[in-house]
Amino acid sequence: MKRDKANYRNVNENPCNMCMPMGGILPFKGVEQSMVILHGSQGCATYMRRHIAEHFNEPIDVASSALNEKGTVYGGEKNRKQGLDNLIKLYSPGIIGILTTCLAETIGEDIGRITSDYRNEHELHRLPIITVPTPGYGGSHTEGYWLAAKQIVSGLARQTPRHSKINIIVPHISPADIREIKRILDRMDIDFTLFPDFSDTLDRPFSKTYKKIPNGGTRIADIAAMPGAAATVQIGITIDDDLSPGRFLEREFGVPLYNVPIPTGLENMDLFMNVLTEITGSCMPLSLEQERGRLLDCMIDSHKYNFEGRSVIFGEPELVYAVAKTCMENGIFPVVAATGSKNAKLAELLTAEIDKYERQVVLLMDSDFDQIRQNSTSAGANIAIGHSDGRYLTEREGIPLVRLGFPIHDRVGGQRVLSVGYLGTTMLLDRVTNTLLENKYKNYRSSMYEQFYHNGHENNISGKILLSGTEG
Amino acid sequence: MAVNEKDIDSILEAYPAKVKRNRKKHIVIKDSSLAHQEIEANTRTIPGIITNRGCAYAGCKGVVLGPIKDIVHITHGPVGCGYYSWLTRRNKAKTLEDGKNYLAYCVTTDMQETDIVFGGEKKLAKVIDEVVEIFKPNGVTVSATCPIGLIGDDINAIAKAAQEKHGIPVMAFSCEGYKGVSQSAGHHIANNGVLEWMVGKGEMTEAPAKYSINMLGEYNIGGDSWEIERFLKEIGYHIIAVATGDGSYENLKNTHVADLNLVQCHRSINYIAEMLEIKYGTPWLKVNFIGVEATVKSLRDMAIYFGDPELIQKTEDVIAREVARVEPILNQYKKICEGKTAFCFVGGSRGHHYQKLFADLGIDTVLAGYEFAHRDDYEGRQVIPDIKPDADSKNIPELHVESDKKLFKLKISPEKAEELKKKIPLSNYEGMNAEMKDGYLIVDDLNHFETERFVELLKPDIFASGIKDKFIPQKMGIPSKQIHSYDYSGPYAGFNGAVKFAEDVTAMFTTPTWNFMTPPWKYKPMLEGTVEEEGN
Ligand code: SF4
Ligand code: SF4
Repeated sequence: MKRDKANYRNVNENPCNMCMPMGGILPFKGVEQSMVILHGSQGCATYMRRHIAEHFNEPIDVASSALNEKGTVYGGEKNRKQGLDNLIKLYSPGIIGILTTCLAETIGEDIGRITSDYRNEHELHRLPIITVPTPGYGGSHTEGYWLAAKQIVSGLARQTPRHSKINIIVPHISPADIREIKRILDRMDIDFTLFPDFSDTLDRPFSKTYKKIPNGGTRIADIAAMPGAAATVQIGITIDDDLSPGRFLEREFGVPLYNVPIPTGLENMDLFMNVLTEITGSCMPLSLEQERGRLLDCMIDSHKYNFEGRSVIFGEPELVYAVAKTCMENGIFPVVAATGSKNAKLAELLTAEIDKYERQVVLLMDSDFDQIRQNSTSAGANIAIGHSDGRYLTEREGIPLVRLGFPIHDRVGGQRVLSVGYLGTTMLLDRVTNTLLENKYKNYRSSMYEQFYHNGHENNISGKILLSGTEG
Repeated sequence: MAVNEKDIDSILEAYPAKVKRNRKKHIVIKDSSLAHQEIEANTRTIPGIITNRGCAYAGCKGVVLGPIKDIVHITHGPVGCGYYSWLTRRNKAKTLEDGKNYLAYCVTTDMQETDIVFGGEKKLAKVIDEVVEIFKPNGVTVSATCPIGLIGDDINAIAKAAQEKHGIPVMAFSCEGYKGVSQSAGHHIANNGVLEWMVGKGEMTEAPAKYSINMLGEYNIGGDSWEIERFLKEIGYHIIAVATGDGSYENLKNTHVADLNLVQCHRSINYIAEMLEIKYGTPWLKVNFIGVEATVKSLRDMAIYFGDPELIQKTEDVIAREVARVEPILNQYKKICEGKTAFCFVGGSRGHHYQKLFADLGIDTVLAGYEFAHRDDYEGRQVIPDIKPDADSKNIPELHVESDKKLFKLKISPEKAEELKKKIPLSNYEGMNAEMKDGYLIVDDLNHFETERFVELLKPDIFASGIKDKFIPQKMGIPSKQIHSYDYSGPYAGFNGAVKFAEDVTAMFTTPTWNFMTPPWKYKPMLEGTVEEEGN
C-alpha cells in the first residue's frame, strides 16, 4: 500500500478538480424553484454555467453580481442588492442561494450582513435566502457541494414533530442515479425526503413550453421538516462532519444518522439495503432480490475477463471509493485511486479495503492528471474510470476510459449515466468489462503473437505475464 | 417579420424600470431611413441578469493567448479559472517537429488559502521554474485571475526575474476578471502584451517572400484557419503568422515584416492591427472568410491591395474553380434552407460574419448581436472618436506605440492608401449594422430572459449561439448551432467550410427527431376499428 499524500510539485498540471462555488451550485439546483447568484465577477458564473450546461445539456441559469474594479475597492454591496432585485423580479424564485467567489472573499464581503439588511429593507421575510461562503481557493467542488447542501438544510430546517419519513441525502451523482434511488425507495414503500433532488431540474423531459425555472427539486417544506424524520441516510462516508448536513440534523435535532457509501457495487448496495430495511422495517422486495441475482450473474459471466483489468480510478472522493470497491469485488484491481480534493477520510477508508486484498494501490490525494498519468503507466493500468478529463490518459497512454462522474463534456448523456443500485452496477460493470474486451480485441492478434511466439514459449507457461500485475 | 418598438417594450416590461431603460439602449431595430442608429455597447453588465459574457481573464488567456502553441500558459490563481478555460475553445494546432505544442495542457498555480493570505509570488516563481524544466517551451505567459490583483502579487517582477533566469520570454498579463466589463478588456490586455513582447523579436528585417501577410483574429476553431490557408497559399500568399490560431511564438515574433495584415475578428485583435500600422507601417484589411460570397470578396480585396495582375488572375482562377466546385453542392442544401430565419448571437465578430454564411444558404438573420463588442463593431469605426471612455475602459492600459526606428517600413504610400480605401476596407471596418436588413433586430449583450422572449416573438428556424444559451431554444424545439465551438464540427470557414456548415445545418433541419414532438394520441386516435353491432 503506497500512499502519496500531497503532490510533490507546486504546479498543477491538468487539474482533477474544480473550484468550490462550482460544486455549490448543484445542491441549489436540487431545491424546487431555486435560483443561485454568485457574488463576485461575472466570469466565474459564466465559466461554471458553461461547464454544467455542457454536462447536463440543460440551460443553467446562474446569476452574478457582476462586480467590477470599482466594486473591488468600494465593496460589492450595491451590485449584490441590485442583482437580487433583478433576479427576484425576473424569475420570482422560491428560494435564493448566494455563493461567494474568490473575489468576494478576498475583499472580505460580509454576505451574511448584506443579506439580512436586504431582507429587512425589502420585507422579504418569507423568501429564504441561503448564503454559502465558497471561495474558489477554499476547497474543491466536492467541498462546495457539501457545504452548500449543509447550509441549505441548516437554513431551512425547523423543529418538526416526529413523522414517519426518512431523510435521504445524496452526493453529487447523476440525475439517473437519483431517479434509481427513488425507484428503489418506492419499491420498498418507504416514505422519504430526498435532498438535493436535481433528477428533474438538471435532466428535464422535453416539453415544448419552456420554463425558466424547471419543475422538480426537493420541496422547501420537506427540507424544513427534515428534523422530524425517523432517521437520515446520508450517502457520504468521505465527508467531513463540518460539511455534513446529516451530522447537522443529528446534532441539532437528534435525527439518527447513517452514513453509507454510494450504492454502486454489490457490497455497497447490500449495505444500503440493509440500512434501509433495518430503519424502516420494510423488507427487500422480490423484484430487487432478482436484480441482485442478475448482478451476481453478470459478475460471474464477466469474471474471466475482469481479472485482467488493472484500473485507475479518479474523481470526487465519494465516487472513487464506491467505484474502487466495485472494481475490487470483480477482480479489476485498482492500481491507482486519485482525487483532486484533499480528503483524509477517503485515504483511510480505501486503505482498509485494499489491505483486505493485500494489494498495491497508489492513492493520490490533492492530485492532478500528470501525477495520475505517471503513476498509471508505471503501475501498468489498462482501464481508467472517471470523468472526461481522463481522456488525457487515453490520448497520451492509450488507456481506455469509461466515463463516469462529472464532468462528461466530450460525450453526450452524462446526466443519464446510471451506476447505482443492483441495476446500475450491472450496467456499469458491463461497460467496464466491454471496454476491457474491446481493447483486448483491438490488440488481440499482435499481443497473442508477441506473447506466445515472439518472446519464446516459456514466458506464457510460467504464467508470468498474466500474473505479473499481482505482485507489483 | 419586421418588429416594432411596441413588441420590444412588451418584452422589456418585465424588468425593473432602471433595467428597462438600460436594456432599451442596447436594442436597435434596423431602419435605414435614419441617418445613423446608435447602440449602447461595452458598458457594465447588469447584476443579476443572466448574461453570456465572460471576464477579462477569459478574453486574455482563453481567447488570445491560449492558442499560441509553443508557449506554456500559466494561470496564476485558484484552480477554477484555469480549469474552466482548459481547451474549451476547441482551437486546433498541428504539432511540428520540435514537438512544442502545449495546447492540451492546463497549468495553474492552484492557489490555496494560505497563498491568498501570504501572497502567491513565491509559488508562482517556483511554478515557472518547474514549467520551464518540464516542457522546455519557447516562452511562458502568466495570466492573473481575480484574487491576484487584490492581494497585490507583483507578477511583472516575477516574470522579469524568471525571464533573466531562464533566457526565454516570460510574459505577465494583469487580466484579472474584474477588469473592464467583459472578455473585451482581456483582448486588449493580451494585444498589448503580444505586441510588446512577441512582435518584432524575430530576426527578420524584411518579408521573406512576395505577398507576405499575417492573419489576425483567426483562432482556428475546428480547423478554420487551415482551410483559409489552403487557398491563400495556392493563390500565392506567404503567411508569416496567424494570431493566434495554430499560432506560435516562433512565427509571431516576425509579424512585423508582413506587407499586409488581415483582420478576421475585429473585436479581439484590432488593437494589434492598429499598433502594427503605427509601429511598422503595415496597413490592415478587414476580411471575412465565413461564407462563399464573403470569402470571394475578401480574396478580391486582397488582390486589389497588391494590385499585381498576375496575382489578380490567380485569385480569379482559384475563385472560379472553388465556386464551381462548391456551388452545386450548396445549391442542394439551399433547397432545404431557403426562406428560413436565424438568430445569430456570438461574441465579437461572428455575430456579423455568420450572417453571410446563412445568406449563402438563403437563410435570413432576423436577430443578431454581440456578447462583448464595442459600438464600432456595430456602427463602424468612424464612431470611435465619439465613444466616451468611461471608468471601466480607462482601467485598461493603452499601449503607447511609436514607429520603430529600425523596422518601420511604409508598405504603401499614403496616397495609394487613400485611393485604396475608396475601394476596399483598408484599415477600416464598417460594422454589422450596415448589412442588416430593415426591421430586423440588433441586440447587444443578449441575456437568457430576452433570448427566451425574442425566440417566442420571432420564432426563428435556427438559433446560432453558444453552449450556455443553446439549450433554451433547443428546449423550445428550435435547433441550435454553436458558433463558438461548432458542436465539435468544422471547419466552417472558406469554401470547404461553407459546405460543411450547410451539411450540418441542413441535417439539423431535416432530422426526423422534430417529427415526434407531439405524441400521436394528441392528434389522431391510435386505434382504428369498427364496432360490430351484435345481432346483425
Ligand atoms: S477559482 Fe475563484 S475566481 Fe476562479 S472560477 Fe473559481 S471562484 Fe472564480
Ligand atoms: S472573473 Fe476572475 S475569478 Fe472569475 S473566472 Fe474570471 S478571472 Fe477567474
